[in-house]
Amino acid sequence: MKNIAVSVEHVSKTFRMYHERNQTIKSAIMRGRTSVHEEFQALKDVSLEVPVGSTYGLIGRNGSGKSTLLKCLANIYYPNQGRITHYGRIAAMLEIGSGFHSELSGRENIFLNGSILGMTKKQVQAKFDEIVEFSGVEQFIDQPVKNYSSGMYVRLGFSIAINVDPEILVVDEVLAVGDAEFQDKCFGKFRDLKKAGKTVILVSHSMSTVTEMCTDVAWLDKGQLKAVGKAEPTVKKYLASIPGDPE
Amino acid sequence: MRYVKEIIASRELLANLTMREIRGKYKRTVFGQMWSLANPLALMLIYTFVFSLIFRVKPAVGDPSGLDVFAVWLLCGLLPWTFLSTVINQGLVTLVDNANLIQKVYFTRIVLPLSVVGAVGYNWLFEMGVLVAALVVVGAFVWPWIPLMFVAMALLALFAAGLMLMLCIANVYFRDTKYLMTIVLQMWMYLTPIIYPFSLVEKQSASVGGLLGTSVTIVDVYNLNPMVHFVQVFRQILYDGRWPDGVEWLWCVGWALGTFALGVVVFRKNEKKLAEIL
Repeated sequence: MKNIAVSVEHVSKTFRMYHERNQTIKSAIMRGRTSVHEEFQALKDVSLEVPVGSTYGLIGRNGSGKSTLLKCLANIYYPNQGRITHYGRIAAMLEIGSGFHSELSGRENIFLNGSILGMTKKQVQAKFDEIVEFSGVEQFIDQPVKNYSSGMYVRLGFSIAINVDPEILVVDEVLAVGDAEFQDKCFGKFRDLKKAGKTVILVSHSMSTVTEMCTDVAWLDKGQLKAVGKAEPTVKKYLASIPGDPE
Repeated sequence: MRYVKEIIASRELLANLTMREIRGKYKRTVFGQMWSLANPLALMLIYTFVFSLIFRVKPAVGDPSGLDVFAVWLLCGLLPWTFLSTVINQGLVTLVDNANLIQKVYFTRIVLPLSVVGAVGYNWLFEMGVLVAALVVVGAFVWPWIPLMFVAMALLALFAAGLMLMLCIANVYFRDTKYLMTIVLQMWMYLTPIIYPFSLVEKQSASVGGLLGTSVTIVDVYNLNPMVHFVQVFRQILYDGRWPDGVEWLWCVGWALGTFALGVVVFRKNEKKLAEIL
């Protein structure tokens, strides 16, 4: 058993910034090109290793490339250079409730969403009660989700995602869902995952959450890795770099 | 091969997405699934009225079945065609419509377009069931030919899937594809012997002879349309009640496998870029 859950080696990712984008055949033919663009480097040569069983935080200012890195980790984007290797099943929670069909009932959506996240029908069946209970929408489980309140919607989505039970969980700023009670439940669930030796990688702007939950932190700035290390010292360094914002 | 394994591994997702399409579609309608039959039946009535009663199109009597019912003859060609055109119309937009999902969750992307084929195919099965019932009512002995019908259906499904896989990628780059295909499908339908018999084309072709001084005839060009062969095969199996011509079979198998393979290759080449391009 290796001690590394995810290794990121020299990953770079460039996006095209379009000044003019023609997605019609007419303009492609008339002007002989489909777009005018320049390259924007969102990630520059990032290398890091996420140890097994750690809760790994990615911090940095807006636009520092955190979410891009997360999407690369989740196999949604593919890096232009470098390599990302996973050791274990990975599940990503980048947005809650994507893939819900609004006309279908909560029950049907649990099975649908579960399979989108990579669970088999049997796994969903085994976890079904737990998911429903955790979300707290028992009463409405056979109602179409379009009738759900936005709180119920995200709670159900979160419950499904957290019960996928992956070895590596990738989370993007989604902890701020539901009321205080539900948030408590979420944090509890994350602690359970940690205890079970699962790896969690998360992005957050709330430094108190990061220091409370994370064991390791990587600080990204303008697409480059600024510092990696234990949570507290790295967060301090990051906060010190922000002028006049001690949080 | 690894790709095939990946698709097989996501068969449950494929089934669930297909069910999502099927169940979600007719929610909150009174007639539900019945609506999927309404469209082909309406087309059948219109075409039968215009082409059989007014234009007096007279297809040959089924050989050896002896059938002579225009509406049933029409359906044998029309139902496979509407399947193809529905798959293309609905499948084209599936990546764009599910952009949100593609940008947020990782899964084998190809299941999205394939689930459209599944959902449309499910409706098609109903339609073909009604057609078989109609054939029985007008006195055809179709039962022995049903397994062969399923083979032909599977081949057409492969062909439709392959074509749609390419088109839905094209639609991600150029949103015109959708509008262009509406026109192309219209023309394509009239270039296929659905509302008129193939024999009429042969007759015209023979009277014109070689085109532009060559030995290439109209029929030769006409035969380049893969749907000509599919429609012929369906008619020969169901309406005529016989083993289809070997050449027609070969055309169908060739087009189906070739198009599907090409579609998968094109899709694979582009699927990793989808999240960024959408």
